[in-house]
Amino acid sequence: MEKRGKTVKRVVPFAVIVLLLGSLFFVAANTGSLKVGFGELMRGLFVEFDSDVATVYDLRFPRIVISMLAGAAVAVSGALFQAVLKNPLADPGIIGISSGASFAAVVITAAAPQVYFFLPLAAFLGGIFAFLLVYGLSWKGGLSPLRIILVGVAVNAMFTGLSSVLNSMGGGEVTGVASIVNGNISLKTWDDVGTLFPYVTAGLLLAVIFAGRCNVLALEDKTARGIGVNVNVLRIVISVIAVLLASISTAIVGAVSFLGLIVPHIGRILVGSDNRVLLPFSMLFGAFTFLLADTIGRTIASPYEVAASVIMSVVGGPFFIILLRRSKKYAN
Amino acid sequence: MQTKNRPVMEVSGVSFSYGTNQVLNEVSFAIEENKITTIMGANGCGKSTLFSLMTKNRTPDQGQIMLCGKNIQSIGLKEFAKQVSIVHQYNTSSDDITVEQLIAFGRTPYLRLMKGKSEEDEKLIGWAMDVTNVRKYKDKEVGKLSGGQRQRVWIAMALAQNTKILFLDEPTTYLDIRYQVEILNLVRKLNREYGITIIMVLHDINQAIHFSDRIIGLRGGYVEIEGNPQDVISGESIQALYGISLEVAKIDGRKFVLTV
Repeated sequence: MEKRGKTVKRVVPFAVIVLLLGSLFFVAANTGSLKVGFGELMRGLFVEFDSDVATVYDLRFPRIVISMLAGAAVAVSGALFQAVLKNPLADPGIIGISSGASFAAVVITAAAPQVYFFLPLAAFLGGIFAFLLVYGLSWKGGLSPLRIILVGVAVNAMFTGLSSVLNSMGGGEVTGVASIVNGNISLKTWDDVGTLFPYVTAGLLLAVIFAGRCNVLALEDKTARGIGVNVNVLRIVISVIAVLLASISTAIVGAVSFLGLIVPHIGRILVGSDNRVLLPFSMLFGAFTFLLADTIGRTIASPYEVAASVIMSVVGGPFFIILLRRSKKYAN
Repeated sequence: MQTKNRPVMEVSGVSFSYGTNQVLNEVSFAIEENKITTIMGANGCGKSTLFSLMTKNRTPDQGQIMLCGKNIQSIGLKEFAKQVSIVHQYNTSSDDITVEQLIAFGRTPYLRLMKGKSEEDEKLIGWAMDVTNVRKYKDKEVGKLSGGQRQRVWIAMALAQNTKILFLDEPTTYLDIRYQVEILNLVRKLNREYGITIIMVLHDINQAIHFSDRIIGLRGGYVEIEGNPQDVISGESIQALYGISLEVAKIDGRKFVLTV
């Protein structure tokens, strides 16, 4: 009885989030001066050419798809970092991974815009560098959760600052640089989707494959070794997947904070902490949350746009403080 | 019980130091098959270090530890986990993992990525739950169990590894006396009924005497006493191990150290 109750309890959040994500997709496609009905949209997409639908398809669909991919990637990255660092406060934005990736992407964009296709790779290397920096500087015979956050905040501030310096040196007018620094996703095209899609899909797939192994990391390291798991190797593998997901999305949508923190956190409340369930849920919920942030950003100050990452910070910060204060676990 | 069984593990000439602090000094002894061996000694005598060396959590500076004739350094973690299971003193898990899920971790060395549980896995998980008497909690969250129940679950996880050798590091430390005895009786049952070779570290001298076939007493990085507890425990050996003079009484032919 108890078991069946649990299964139902897990299926419901999935069904709800899929429904919400589908509805939001439609709302987002219709947010703006051009409106298309559901039937019109479907017909325009699959049956015959419709100029309104074509415009929506070329201008709005890419950013919607990018928001969903990036949201899924950042949320899962956060969940992975939390498992690897045994730290519920870990978030690729807060610990500086995203800003490291962002800085590398900015450098490439400013210095050699012609090698645009290297952008994901550069961002990935930047993310890895930031991660090694945080990990190395936090290591003192062990990893204290608090020290990681503190070092991460410093690393984050440094890379964010460096990116701003580069942005200012270009007079804020090198559009590619500015759009990464400001997290602007209004000018994204299907090309950007093409850049993002393979890496994010690969990263998410790997995350799901390693979900069971992430659970093992919740045990003491000694205990995990005792059941034959090489904890150090496993940490490196999962960290690389997490850095990949955070960096790639940063290369396209800029650094996003709090998303990787809040989504898995709420996910744990709704579906539990088993990563085999939590990671898929975080994908859907992350996609939903970031698309929601982008859609709100597009409408709230229309005709101007507020970047989705800014919305995430404004809403995410207080939201997380509430979560912290309500949770018994971190109360002391 | 006095017959000499063949050794399943042999520690020979093992030394270990933390920096300049020599903790173990050419320690040698053998662990006999199908017996309960308890490592004991005062704080800082090297028993925890010895435990972590024997469980592949540290590497000896000198000497070697053999498992069935093979140096454990040359055995991979996964292979080692199929032959030796370990219950550490301090354990953590996510709070909402269920008892059955936690015990299933014991099957990890046999699992392959992306593959589900086999029939064999299910059978052994069920067996581990029955032996430790935790089946009735199988869907309960580990975070909601009492200390004694939780310790049985950790032992069940180790049993699911289906090994002939089980290490336990102070399995009774955080428990009150009723659960201490319950756990030690379980350990004895694992040995007597299922033929599992037990190696454990115990703090309580009388529990060590009562529940062990063999005792290895360490002092200052050396093996001070080794053998059947009824033979090797005496006022002198306790004095040597712990540096305190305690009376040893005999009740019904069994020795008790009066610890007050």
